[in-house]
Formats: sequence, C-alpha cells, structure tokens
Amino acid sequence: MDLVQLQRQFVDYKTSLYHEGFLDEQFTQLQELQDENNPDFVVEVVSLFFEDSERLLNELARALEQQSIDYKRIDAHVHQLKGSSSSIGAQRVQKVCIAFRNYCEEQNVEGCLKCLQQVRHEYSLVKTKLESLFQLEQQILTAGGSIPIFSRVTKLLKGIYLLSSLSLYHIFSV
Amino acid sequence: MELMKSENIVQDRQPQPQEEEEIMQQEEEEQRFHVLAVDDSVIDRKLLEKLLKASSYQVTCVESGEKALEYLGLLHHSSPASSSSQHHHQGHKVNLIMTDFSMPGTSGYDLLKRIKGSSWKDVPVVVMSSENVPSRISMCLEGGAEEFMLKPLQLSDLHKIQAHLLKSLPHS
Repeated sequence: MDLVQLQRQFVDYKTSLYHEGFLDEQFTQLQELQDENNPDFVVEVVSLFFEDSERLLNELARALEQQSIDYKRIDAHVHQLKGSSSSIGAQRVQKVCIAFRNYCEEQNVEGCLKCLQQVRHEYSLVKTKLESLFQLEQQILTAGGSIPIFSRVTKLLKGIYLLSSLSLYHIFSV
Repeated sequence: MELMKSENIVQDRQPQPQEEEEIMQQEEEEQRFHVLAVDDSVIDRKLLEKLLKASSYQVTCVESGEKALEYLGLLHHSSPASSSSQHHHQGHKVNLIMTDFSMPGTSGYDLLKRIKGSSWKDVPVVVMSSENVPSRISMCLEGGAEEFMLKPLQLSDLHKIQAHLLKSLPHS
C-alpha cells in the first residue's frame, strides 16, 4: 500500500473509532499534549492504561470469586478503571464502569458479574483497536510520511460518515 | 578544571563555566512555578505532569496524601521551621498544590485541611475529581480550596491554573 493510501486508511480508521464510541475527545487531548520532546507520549500513556486495566480486571475477578463479596473494594477498583478509561478517552469502557458501579451499590452479584464480562470485552476491543491504530501510525512513519493531524477533521468526517452508506462502514472496520 | 588554590581566596572569584551553568539552571528553576501534584492514579499523574510541563512549570508528582504530607514536612505533626519566604520550607518551594479528591488513606480533602492548618496555608490548593458532586465541591471550597476542577483535565484548563499561580506571587 502506498503512503497516501496508508494515510487515508489511518484517517478513516481513526474516524470510525470516534464514530463507534471507542474513543472520545479526551483521546484527542492526549495527542495535543504530545510534542517533539515527548513523541511517544500517547503510546506511553496508553501502555500504562493497558497495564493498569489488566491489573484491575484481575483484582475484580478475584474479588467477585470470594465467598463473602466486598462490594466496597470492588467499587473502588471500578472507580479507578472508570477514571483511567476516562482519562485516555476509552469511552465505551468508561460507560460500562458506570453501570458496574450501580450494581455494586445495589450489591447485585449477578449484575456485577455481567458487567465484569462486559468491561473485559470492551477493554479487549479498545486495546486491539488502539494497537492497530499505533501500527498504522508506525507504517506511515516507516514509509517516510507524516501522521495526518486530526482534530478539526474529526467533526467534518463524522458528518460525512453519518451520511455515507453502510457498506463503506464495513470496509473500514477492522 | 584546575584548582587555583592561591587565587580562590579572592572574594569576587569568577565562577568556573560549569558552576555558572549550574547556577543559571538553579535560578531558572527557582523562577519557574513549582506545582505539587497528588494523585493515586499513575495515568492521571502522567497526564497532569505533561499538562503542567507544557506550560513550563516545574512539577513534582506524588502518589498519595501521605507522600504529599511527607514532602511538605507535615507528616509527623511537626511544623517546619519558619523561613523568610512564604512558600519556602525545607528547601522546597511550592506555588500550587493540585490534588485528587478520592484517594485511599489520606483523601484530597484531608490533605487540604492539613495544608490549610499548617504553615503552607497560603499555598493555593486545587482539588480535582472525576465526579461532579455539588456537595463535594462546596465542601472543598469551604475547606479552603481555591478551585475544584473536573477530571480529566484539559489544556484549556491551564489558564485557570495559571491564574492561581499568578495570584500566589508575593506582593511587592
């Protein structure tokens, strides 16, 4: 694939991630913080998020296996996960955490287990997608190109996306 | 670097080039605002640090209220020896403290109260939270917080932070 095609694919893929709610405006903020002094900032923060989330998901699984469930502890972990997903713009993960906390408050073990499954699923989705996104970035850089700057383009493309046909949507989703 | 033993005694000895650079660096650091950032989330610490450094502030990040108290010399209820400048204690200069509200152990609110009841009371404290709870906000403001900010913080929030820092400058 040539450079222009790669860049096009990158823009379309990234747009779809925002459009499908995987990423929100906070992810854009992260990119705006990245500069020449810290060119790997986004990757670094996202990697921290991956590590931290995996730790929290394991803790949650363990906590829900207990004979006597400590809902306060579970709520504390979910609160952390909600916070970190919000900080990097992982919107769908954040949303499940909100539902999860409600079940904690109700001390509803079934609800909690369901949410754990959901949050695991959303986490693994966003992880895969972010990894693909970073991979595309690398390919562009390796091909000697620059990463298309995105922020203002997002809203415009979102509009175009909504108007475009569903078949196009399928081509660009990975 | 040769040692010029006999000439060292002269009062206005010119600093060696290396020393001069160090002095300049130190002076530069002292001119920059220093923010103490307190948050138990490693991700939020990294974000806050980057955000603040983007404005050329000096940043120290700590992971808990206890560590913040330790840094400020308040951990064992002993008041640090008073020094000339408002914001200088124990050799640390702090122009602003930004703390997360929900932290295990010493919460952001606990930290706020401890700071306001100490010799650091004139340092502005900003409390951050991911939750928009009106009663929490008023509690913090009544407790002496300059501002309550919602997380995640954004670049556009920096101007508020700058305003507090400028306010904290000693009046001539």
